[in-house]
Amino acid sequence: MGQGEYSYTFPHRGLIAASALNRVDLELIFDSARAHLARNRTEDKKHPSLKGLTVINLFFEASTRTLASFEIAAKRLGADVVNFSAGNASLKKGESLADTANTLAAMQPDLLVVRHQSPGAAEFFQRTTGISTINAGDGANEHPTQALLDLFTLGEHLGDVGGKRIAIIGDILHSRVARSNVALLSLMNADIRLCGPASLLPADADRWGASVFHSVEAAIEGCDAVMVLRLQRERMSSGLIPSAREYAAIYGLDHARLSLANEGCIVMHPGPMNRGIEITSALADDTDISVILDQVEAGVAVRMAVLELLAGRGMQEMVP
Amino acid sequence: MSGGIFIAGARLIDPASGRDIEGDLRVENGVIDAIGPGLSPDAEDQIIEADGAVLSPALIDIGARAAEPGRSGIESLDTTIRAAAAGGVGTLVLSSSSGAGLTRPEDIDWISFRALHAPVRLLGAARTHTEAGEMAEIGLMLRAGAALVSDGGDLIADTRFLRNLLSYASAFDAWVGLTAEDIHLSAGTIAHESAMAVRLGLSARPGISQRLGVERLAGLAELTGARILFERLTTADGLDALKAARKRGLDVAASAPLTHLLFNEVDMGGLDPAYRLDPPLRSEADRQALLAAIADGLIDVIVSDHTPVALEAKANPFSDAAPGSSSLEALIPVLCTLDADGQLPLAAGLKALTSNPAEMLGLPQGRLDEGAPADLVLFDPQAPNVYGKDGLESPAPSAFSGRRLQGRVLLSIVDGAMVYARPGFAE
Repeated sequence: MGQGEYSYTFPHRGLIAASALNRVDLELIFDSARAHLARNRTEDKKHPSLKGLTVINLFFEASTRTLASFEIAAKRLGADVVNFSAGNASLKKGESLADTANTLAAMQPDLLVVRHQSPGAAEFFQRTTGISTINAGDGANEHPTQALLDLFTLGEHLGDVGGKRIAIIGDILHSRVARSNVALLSLMNADIRLCGPASLLPADADRWGASVFHSVEAAIEGCDAVMVLRLQRERMSSGLIPSAREYAAIYGLDHARLSLANEGCIVMHPGPMNRGIEITSALADDTDISVILDQVEAGVAVRMAVLELLAGRGMQEMVP
Repeated sequence: MSGGIFIAGARLIDPASGRDIEGDLRVENGVIDAIGPGLSPDAEDQIIEADGAVLSPALIDIGARAAEPGRSGIESLDTTIRAAAAGGVGTLVLSSSSGAGLTRPEDIDWISFRALHAPVRLLGAARTHTEAGEMAEIGLMLRAGAALVSDGGDLIADTRFLRNLLSYASAFDAWVGLTAEDIHLSAGTIAHESAMAVRLGLSARPGISQRLGVERLAGLAELTGARILFERLTTADGLDALKAARKRGLDVAASAPLTHLLFNEVDMGGLDPAYRLDPPLRSEADRQALLAAIADGLIDVIVSDHTPVALEAKANPFSDAAPGSSSLEALIPVLCTLDADGQLPLAAGLKALTSNPAEMLGLPQGRLDEGAPADLVLFDPQAPNVYGKDGLESPAPSAFSGRRLQGRVLLSIVDGAMVYARPGFAE
């Protein structure tokens, strides 16, 4: 199915926030992602719809999986890809962010993928350079492609997400993944539950259109999917929670707790996991329940779809 | 099964209902089987003639320090427990600053283990923070059976840390006992700021320091929704702030230490290290305000604040002596003395040591009701008592030593078993 069949042109210049997307946008992205997902499983993965375009991945925060996922997605679409990451000297030379942006823009890239520790960084790059920008995570604000791949994975396993009960467990306060997911899940009318230690939940989380829980057992009851968030080590040293041991005992997900969920409930994690802390190894590796690797696979396909749509090279323009 | 215990002819005081009647009470299988005038004992009952002595629920002390765990002190935990039983305490909640501190889940497990063979009900408070200043594993400690969370008198200076702590603790619906003082005004002081302290040359903190402490914590209670217990309030200024916090509808509670109900700063005027206490003894106006606050319910609980200090640590000039007093065995005599002097009605004092703490911690004991746990104390409110003259279970120095008080515990019953009887009584 091509973009033309929707009588709708993807209207976004970039992908800065999941909250800017509407349901038709999601259908466009997911239809395309489904085709990419199928092709990615064949021996000829090349689909050169971005031929001739240059994508710059600009990662000010260390990342392995997201950077690799974007790089593979762009390369499979035939784009030329350049990576700048946290270790790169050029990002550490004290140049202002505006100068970095303008310098890169002068090299005429077609798409920027930006990860930065400050909320608003991706929006800043797009505004400064005028180049289509994908937000690959800006501080605790948004990580829209993660939410897209999560929603895509949910759809593949649960069908329509509307009315499904989905719990997000962990450090909601510092999580861009949670914020982006709440945006998309509420768009789909899911029954969203947020759960974590009170010191890791925003005070006004109940106004996000989600119900708030402090007990994992209560939060999981009747769930169709549980998203477990990564617990950053620095939350302990900064006095927000006591210890990894206590977190595991009170908020960690295991088979016993998951038995309170609905039959067939799936478990997701954006990675990288702290095994034995937010999730037990046994559960993370239980392929009947855990769809964590499906998420990673979907990530490439979803990012391919987003890159294509932003480049204005959705499927109907494809060379046969 | 042998018979029960039949206590005949007692003055039955139930602080929860306000009932104060002459009558009998029968105990069987660990619970109160019957209460009222004109009961008759079963054939096999052990009969105790109360002879008009007061029978009330056994006391619940939610703030007593032990010298254990982890340190060898003047008093073993067994001794502290014996002192509690002799003092009419049926439920003893050890302060989180007991010994080296109740900071780890293992420490609470240790208390549960010791409780198995203790004659009184033994619980512990979980320490809020570790020695390194990190948040302690309060969730695991509460799951292990900690009765509440408390800073154990170690004031937390970092307000952001305190906010996180209270926010975290709020999910467990536990009381968080905190010291209400201004960190800088109170640091290093050993007396209450007054003309007297100035004359004695003691470094002193003003009563306002406690008010600032209460206001700071009340603000955080409002922000986080945590239930804060202001521990050991002792000043009229602090009580003013407590009243304001209550008026704003905050879920807060407050405790007062036993010593400060009877003594004021004049008692430490001779610089006797026995009166070196933390918080320091306050002015007479403060003491009066404290008694009024207990009578009208502004203060919820009285704590013994029992602190076994080694003799050598007290054998120092006032300023250098370790603060603290052995107080478990003074609870009943102080209540009786204040009642006899018309300073605090007995029922109000008992309420702050029975039904109020029971209600706070959700305990079934603390009331005289049919079916309630048979945790009882029988005491003679008129008996003269020169404190310590006839010997005490606790060997630790006490601010009450040699004081002419009145009131003596005759019998303590916990879970239906007699755990203390005054020598010569009920034999």
